[in-house]
Amino acid sequence: MTAPTDTEVLPATREVVLDLHRRMVRIRRFEESSGKLVETGEMPGFLHLYVGQEAVAAGMGSVLTDDDQITSTHRGHGHAIAKGAELRPMFAELYGKTTGYCKGRGGSMHIVDMNRGMLGANAIVGGGIPIAIGAAFASQYRDDGTVAVSFFGDGATNIGAFHESVNMAAVWDLPVIFVVENNGYAEFTPQEKHMKLTDIAERAASYGIPGVIVDGMDALAMRQVSLEAVERAKRGEGPTLIEAKTYRFFDHQGIKGMRIPYRDPAEVEAWKSRDAIRLIETIGVERGLVTAEDFAEIWAEVEAEINDGIEFARNSPDPDPADILDDVYTV
Amino acid sequence: MAIEIRLPKLGLTMEEGTVDEWLLEDGAVVTAGMPLLRLATDKIDVDVEAESDGILHRAVGDGATLEPGAILGWLLAEGEATPAGTAPAAPAPAAAQEDVAIITTVRGDDDIEVASADGRVFISPNARRVAADLGVDLSTVRGSGPGGRIISEDVEEAAAAAPQHTGPAKVASPLARRDAREAGIDPSTISTSSGYVSRGDVKAAAAATPRETAAAAVSSTVVVAPGSVKQETASIVPMKGMRGTIAARMQQSLTEMAQLTHGFEVRMDAVVALRAEMKEQYIALGVPVPSLNDFVVRAAALALRQHPILNATIQDKEIHLLSRIHMGLAVAVPGGLMVPVIPDADRLSLPDLAAATRDVAERCRNGSIGLDELEGGTFAVTSLGTYGVDMFTPVINPGNVGILGVGRLRDSGTWEGDDWVRTQVLTLSLTFDHRAVDGAPAAEYLQTIAELLARPLVLVS
Amino acid sequence: MSTRELTYVKAFNEGMHQIMAEDPDVFLIGEDVAGYGGVFHMFDGLLDTYGQKRVKDTPIAEQAIIGLGVGAAARGLRPVCDLMFMDFIGVAMDQIFNQAAKMKYMFGGAVSVPLTITTAGGAGMSAAAQHSQSLEAWLAHIPGLKVALPATPYDAKGLIVGAIRDDNPTIVVLQKKMLGVKGPVPEELYAIPFGEAHVAREGTDTTIVAIARMVPEALKAAEMLASDGISVEVIDPRTVQPLDTDTIVASVKKTNRALIVHEAVEFGGIGAEISSQIQEEAFDYLDAPVARLAAPFAPVPYAPILENAYVPDAARIEQAVRRLLERK
Ligand SMILES: Cc1ncc(C[n+]2csc(CCOP(=O)(O)OP(=O)(O)O)c2C)c(N)n1
Ligand SMILES: [Mg+2]
Repeated sequence: MTAPTDTEVLPATREVVLDLHRRMVRIRRFEESSGKLVETGEMPGFLHLYVGQEAVAAGMGSVLTDDDQITSTHRGHGHAIAKGAELRPMFAELYGKTTGYCKGRGGSMHIVDMNRGMLGANAIVGGGIPIAIGAAFASQYRDDGTVAVSFFGDGATNIGAFHESVNMAAVWDLPVIFVVENNGYAEFTPQEKHMKLTDIAERAASYGIPGVIVDGMDALAMRQVSLEAVERAKRGEGPTLIEAKTYRFFDHQGIKGMRIPYRDPAEVEAWKSRDAIRLIETIGVERGLVTAEDFAEIWAEVEAEINDGIEFARNSPDPDPADILDDVYTV
Repeated sequence: MAIEIRLPKLGLTMEEGTVDEWLLEDGAVVTAGMPLLRLATDKIDVDVEAESDGILHRAVGDGATLEPGAILGWLLAEGEATPAGTAPAAPAPAAAQEDVAIITTVRGDDDIEVASADGRVFISPNARRVAADLGVDLSTVRGSGPGGRIISEDVEEAAAAAPQHTGPAKVASPLARRDAREAGIDPSTISTSSGYVSRGDVKAAAAATPRETAAAAVSSTVVVAPGSVKQETASIVPMKGMRGTIAARMQQSLTEMAQLTHGFEVRMDAVVALRAEMKEQYIALGVPVPSLNDFVVRAAALALRQHPILNATIQDKEIHLLSRIHMGLAVAVPGGLMVPVIPDADRLSLPDLAAATRDVAERCRNGSIGLDELEGGTFAVTSLGTYGVDMFTPVINPGNVGILGVGRLRDSGTWEGDDWVRTQVLTLSLTFDHRAVDGAPAAEYLQTIAELLARPLVLVS
Repeated sequence: MSTRELTYVKAFNEGMHQIMAEDPDVFLIGEDVAGYGGVFHMFDGLLDTYGQKRVKDTPIAEQAIIGLGVGAAARGLRPVCDLMFMDFIGVAMDQIFNQAAKMKYMFGGAVSVPLTITTAGGAGMSAAAQHSQSLEAWLAHIPGLKVALPATPYDAKGLIVGAIRDDNPTIVVLQKKMLGVKGPVPEELYAIPFGEAHVAREGTDTTIVAIARMVPEALKAAEMLASDGISVEVIDPRTVQPLDTDTIVASVKKTNRALIVHEAVEFGGIGAEISSQIQEEAFDYLDAPVARLAAPFAPVPYAPILENAYVPDAARIEQAVRRLLERK
């Protein structure tokens, strides 16, 4: 099954376009500003930025409720924001402050927001996939009508945890959606060097579940396939593997670009020309759903939210080393 | 207000006491009645208890020997300073860095206490080893390690300070010492870079002196390794506590007094016969049957009334004859000897005396004897009869001028007219201080006892 | 040949180059080890020199990476399998501890597994709980494995060569924070045998047994203490399995005190083993309980202020030594 990629035919309302746009802009600006702050040394750690892939998280995020659960990856800021995470505790976490989502303990690769169904980012490739089927198992067990979604990269589909999890979820018809964000690279290794397939969606066939390919730069298309997969899961028909073809605009880690030219600059430019945010702005304006001013307003509002988040994080207290043993166990 | 902890005066003759060990750490929160320290007096060891609640601040360390009344420390209120002009408490080290230290886990020395409540003194394993090697008595060493623990440096310093030790103190492992002995080398002469003589060092030293050893081996048919006659310590019994007290007191007695002993055989036939006669009666009455020794004690006590010179004490070139007769009784206890006192022993009936001797002996052995009951004796009796000893030289308890030793009851014989009759006798050994008592009066005292024992009805009435 | 200053990572890299030149059975696999030269530059230039047959990028598949190494080693090759961050051994643990470690023994000696696993451990980079761990005690606990933790450029080269030449499964844990540290390294190929501790500094007052990146921290602390007349002996075991107990015990017999420092959590850490061995072998030589300085019983935190508090450093080592030596 291949999803329609022609956005012209998809139902798109003004609200949906604005919603998807805001989700993506929040991600983009969060990532760009965080990247800068790490580069200047104001923020610690290292970042795997989501810029370029926003449509995938935004499309899926727009069809989920706070009760649905997601698991994420080392490249997880976008998933959290698309799921509705607030920027203040996100920035604060990256700054390592007590007001952060993990009280400064987790940092960039471990954002969590249990109130919004964000079950946590994961620094172990593939680590979140089995956890998602556990969350879906709980949905089925409780019969509460919720679903679970696991985001992961092309590289992660080579790891045992992926195969074990998809198979088990398929056998048990668990309400889970596997979203592989195929950005063509696992770190610096191109897809053709780490697997024989071009379309990872084909892997679904070996487990007897639908595999769907979608344009990961098109938020409306992503929203459409997400909706279908979620509904299928809620009907009790089991999991779907969605392969979103997408691209990261920055390096594997950080902003600064490539240590070695492992990617063809032309390839990078070609993908950049299909920028997901610009795409939805074009569609919105062309179809007369949204004006350019409406979009500009969103950018401005997000900018204010970004500045507020950074200011909040800067002014937040550092964790107290005396509390270092807190939360090792549930007490 | 700071409550002073003073060294208690536990008896008339107590001149000083030694803080054997503190039972609580400096800074411990103390409630009234808690034992604070173990005090070693010249008689027994007692626990000094807190008079009131407070925070313990120790002014003296373990091993301090002071006069009664001396301040040992204070019980302070929260935040209260020690009274001015006293030794300041050792400041807590590196307090400023505490906040960092709590984060990274550090295990090790912080939690050491000098002495735990069960009286254990903390000595590092290395210090024990070095002390054994150097022959240092650990009870003489003051600890300077964390929490006051005795560490090897303390032992080495003590060894260096000890006069009998010549040459630099060298630490050698037991195996190295054995090797050295076998090679005929004095470990203290072996040079090492570390101050510690290893087996390797011994080997090197032995290799460096092959000729002498070889020459010694051929020049003599009997080769005695020079080290083979040396004493080796199998284990060490610290002379502290009761042992230390006994040592000090006996030495004091023999150095201060002019002691000599009379041996005197007394017949016991009448006592033995009377005792046999009365035995059933006593048992029927449910009172303890007096032992032969009780008869002798009673006789000795009564005889003292007639010979007050032996119930005396010497003070500043004066002989003080004492009005009351408080009889000390030597009681062997594990690891030593105690001398509980039976006050006014001459006024007790024989059954009462017998009951009293049993009672104090029992309480000496189970440790419930009070310090007061070990004080104030004016004369003493000691018996080694049950050990098969006939005649010995008892040592006078300091403060007294005499002590009577009781020997073994044995069969003997004597001519009565033309008949050789069998008798039962024992030997009394009276040690007296010649400064106060001369030989004849001492013998007269013994004769009085002999007469009383020959007519024992006087003793039971 | 001469000795010159190289960085830790360059010394390791040189060892890899030289051993691959020497032994055609040595090959390298791992994620981004070939085209990219390893995310820490550990394997720079190997692909160009030895070609795609011997230097291969793998999919993200740690279990298969190690398992492949086990199988190839059983056939007599000398695989070097890279796990990038030490934390990722969790994904491959079955192949490491059930397979690689046990084959020799459980097959009655029929198979040898001359496998080398390379990885990078240690905290200090705000890489948080899943990218910062020091798990050497885990590995040292498994009979059949050998574990090396180089703390100098010299050892980084010598231990990787020693590991690859060893006929047993070995794990060489590089220190992320030390990659740029410089030190003298001979040009020629040399191997450091496993189980030989390095006395990094001689002293008489106390012994510090330091693991991995704690070695330079301990040396710094020793320098600080020396100005106060405190003489510290620093011992770097270099391999924790096998562990050179003899050198440690001899040192403690001389100094009568020991402090063990590592950045892994204290509970059940390798310090517990070392401490136990010291008290078993040198009890009568101790003037103080064996002390440990290690991370608290918590995962590695992200915020720099927490992470700094978490990992021991020279200042805290100095304090710990002073506590150990305190005399009244
Ligand atoms: C188990 C494990 N192995 C290796 C890594 C190192 N690593 C981090 S991201 C990454 C590449 C992941 O590629 P992909 O799944 O395609 O995600 P992308 O980075 O492209 O978003 C690798 C190998 C890891 N974090 N966890
Ligand atoms: Mg990828």
